[in-house]
Amino acid sequence: MKKAVALVLMLVMVLALAACGGGETGVETGNDGTSITIFNSKMEIQSQMEEMAKKYTAEKGVKVEVYYSSDTVAAHMSTRYASNEPYAIAMVDAKDIYSLGPEHAVDLSDQQWVADTTQAITVDGKVLGFPVCIEARGIIYNGEAIRAIVPDFDPTAVKTTEEFQAVIDALIDGGMETPTGVMKEDWSLAAHFLAEVYEMHADPDAFIAGIKDGSIQLAEDDIYNAMMDTFDVLKDNNYAKASAISAEREVTEQMLAEGELAFMFGGNWDWSVINAYNYSDDMGMMPVPNDLGDGSSDKLVGGGSKYFYVDNGVSEEQQQAAKDFLNWLVYDEEGQSFLVEECALVPAYSNITLEVADPLGASVKAYTDADALIGNYNYLPDDHYAKVGASFQKYLAGQIDRAGLADEITAYWATAEVGAH
Amino acid sequence: MKQNTLSYKIRQYLMFAGPGTVLFLAVVIVPFLYGLYLTLTSWDGVSATKPFVGFENFAAAFQDSAYWSAMGRTVIYSVFAVVLINIVAFALAYLVTQGIKGQNFFRAGFFVPNLIGGIVLGYVWKFVFNRAFVALFSGTSLLSTTNGAMFCLILVSVWQYAGYMMLIYVAGFMSVSGEVREAAMIDGCTSGQAMMHVTIPLMRSSFVQCIFLSITRCFVVYDVNLSLTKGEPFGSSVMAAMHVYNQAFTYKNYGLGQAEALILFVVCAIVGVTQVMLGKKGEVEA
Repeated sequence: MKKAVALVLMLVMVLALAACGGGETGVETGNDGTSITIFNSKMEIQSQMEEMAKKYTAEKGVKVEVYYSSDTVAAHMSTRYASNEPYAIAMVDAKDIYSLGPEHAVDLSDQQWVADTTQAITVDGKVLGFPVCIEARGIIYNGEAIRAIVPDFDPTAVKTTEEFQAVIDALIDGGMETPTGVMKEDWSLAAHFLAEVYEMHADPDAFIAGIKDGSIQLAEDDIYNAMMDTFDVLKDNNYAKASAISAEREVTEQMLAEGELAFMFGGNWDWSVINAYNYSDDMGMMPVPNDLGDGSSDKLVGGGSKYFYVDNGVSEEQQQAAKDFLNWLVYDEEGQSFLVEECALVPAYSNITLEVADPLGASVKAYTDADALIGNYNYLPDDHYAKVGASFQKYLAGQIDRAGLADEITAYWATAEVGAH
Repeated sequence: MKQNTLSYKIRQYLMFAGPGTVLFLAVVIVPFLYGLYLTLTSWDGVSATKPFVGFENFAAAFQDSAYWSAMGRTVIYSVFAVVLINIVAFALAYLVTQGIKGQNFFRAGFFVPNLIGGIVLGYVWKFVFNRAFVALFSGTSLLSTTNGAMFCLILVSVWQYAGYMMLIYVAGFMSVSGEVREAAMIDGCTSGQAMMHVTIPLMRSSFVQCIFLSITRCFVVYDVNLSLTKGEPFGSSVMAAMHVYNQAFTYKNYGLGQAEALILFVVCAIVGVTQVMLGKKGEVEA
């Protein structure tokens, strides 16, 4: 008897363990049996994505599930691959397409949308990345606040650092003591602002190679100096000048939205923060002014941002459903409206003509349509923003000067390698 | 039934300790060994191939100056934090065992910070340092200076852990019977002498526990570090654990990160175990 009881107990335990171990998730299926999972890495559109998934599931009979993670994209994808549960469609950053794509992404070269965008990512002759939207960087301005003091302010007329300084001086004279804000975040300083220095060079690869082998002295580089001149104007008129490196992004953006500040370097994604406040409708983006005189201050910097790829680890049917979904986004009216109107993204497809609702996105769309974008350089190493960002923060805090920053950036590049492309 | 046969012993073991053993193997030993294996590869954390590189990662870890400065910072932080946590905790425990009015309320109150997760706590204090203090004293934020950020980290850790350690010290105080102390006083000790020579030696095991817990927690601090300073300003408050995380997941050097994590584990284990061994040696009983 005792033996039997012991045996039963053992069995129960083993079963319980087996139940814990066998975590094969049975994904529910839609009407025709296909279901796809989508990984969303844009936090600000998660609720719209979930809403869309419900509608899409109901209308198309393909069950769509949307997931979000606050982890870094690479870290999250690595855990998914480690547990052997790939998403059918994953939204990643451009650099991740280069690192993950060749191994995991389906070749999308035969898709119709490839012809309608200039931003798709091609690796080894195969189109792997579907651009979700266009994002661009520049100076965000609050037109209402500026025109209250400088009535004839025209963002397209501010081309040089001197002209920029003149507007700021006029604002200060008019009572706005500190017209600028500077985001101290390492990604803003290094991955967004400093990256423009690389991107404004005709051949960023050659420029970085030159820094690496010492044939280019960064401290004497014209573009670096021109951009840093403008950065100095932003830095010197910063509302949080005394504690620039503890300024909080939300506070800065709130002040900009509500007109206490006139200018901040940023990108159209900042709208998701600005629209949380009592913002002015008269806002927009303008290129970073500089004294190069080469036309670069007529252009925003940016391009495709966030890319979808279809995973080759899911079944044929799921891959097809995933491709259908991408086509739906580009060619179906509902898909277009989802992208542009609900998510307020700037579409990367020339056939989409819907108006972008948010003012920053509208600026980006205008520059995109005018072909006035300097392209992204997507191959900076993963630790670039953190390490160079730390150096840039020292500059912002006044601990090192411009030459010191150039030295630290050069030192960083001595050991760093750009991503394969 | 015979109780000394091997099969009986094995069955008994499996029945009582089997599930625990399996779980322990599954969630501690196997991942640990697998992690050990990963330190020998140059895996990036995502790719399907894990190229074997031998001990290269350890060589790289020893040459990673950022790692060692993070480690040095962690040691400095831990020394200050451990000393302060224990002094404050001991003082609080002393105060709330004196029979003052509402001492249970105070005990609960001091313990509460420990119930708030490190992430939330970091954000709360960030607000205090960045906004409240700045508004009150109209200075610059402590978090924007390198020493200030470290100071803030230590302060918040002390605030977080002192209440927890206090509970252990309270238990220590309660375990020392009043008679011993009274006897010492009758023999002519002042109350300070009675504390130094009678109560504290008898509470030695509480000290050993508290110091061990605070050392091990401080060495691997991550959550408060992330939410309070995020390693800023300019990477000057990156602790060892945060560096390891960045190395493995952000910079995608999983093998190297894993090797650095292992070194951190070894350092932490050596310090912790040495401290416990030294502490246990001199334990006395009444």
